[in-house]
Amino acid sequence: MLLFRDEEHVDRWCAARDMSPGALLDLPQAWRLARGWYESKLQPDWRRHTLAETEALFTSIGLTGDFWDLRS
Amino acid sequence: MTTLSPDIDLLAQDVRRFVFRCAADTASVPQAPEIAKALGKPEPQIRAALHQLAAGRVLILAPNDGTIWAANPFCAVASGFRVEASGKRYWGICAWDALGVAAALHSDAVITAPCGDCGDGLTLEIRDGALQGGGNAVVHFAIPARHWWDNIGFT
Repeated sequence: MLLFRDEEHVDRWCAARDMSPGALLDLPQAWRLARGWYESKLQPDWRRHTLAETEALFTSIGLTGDFWDLRS
Repeated sequence: MTTLSPDIDLLAQDVRRFVFRCAADTASVPQAPEIAKALGKPEPQIRAALHQLAAGRVLILAPNDGTIWAANPFCAVASGFRVEASGKRYWGICAWDALGVAAALHSDAVITAPCGDCGDGLTLEIRDGALQGGGNAVVHFAIPARHWWDNIGFT
């Protein structure tokens, strides 16, 4: 997951590799994803997110559609 | 998580707690010899526990020598994704993990990373739980979510 100055730079990077762009997160989305994923990681009783919890996190951030589908 | 044996399963939890606490407190991800010494266990048992944690996607081992590459979000080696927090310098293996370091630490942080295209340095700041700076920067996920762990290094 790379950081890019803006969408134009993503398009240029993908074009140079003859690949289609994947999914773009703006910074507020990326920060919410990081918090949802990692803010409990140092807790002694931490456990991995379940599939359902991961899906709920994605949905809460607006990450929906085939790219974010974990079950297919 | 795959269970190799009850003893290894219990040890893996102790290893997990030690590795992540040490990474957070020191900004250095401990490796098997240090973990073995700290927990008073033989190094082969620690390595078995680390492999179990890796199989459970709790951390990532380097493909060739079995050292810890990342106790996500903490990367064991310097990378392009630098995080300054709590007076220490941390590293993430990607943009998500760089933000994840600040999230895991519950700390203000300054993240610097290059634009994946042009290489220019970008700076993000976390202050009081809010992200600041970065302009119109975006994070690009090239691989669909269900395939992230097919090749986590590329992802």
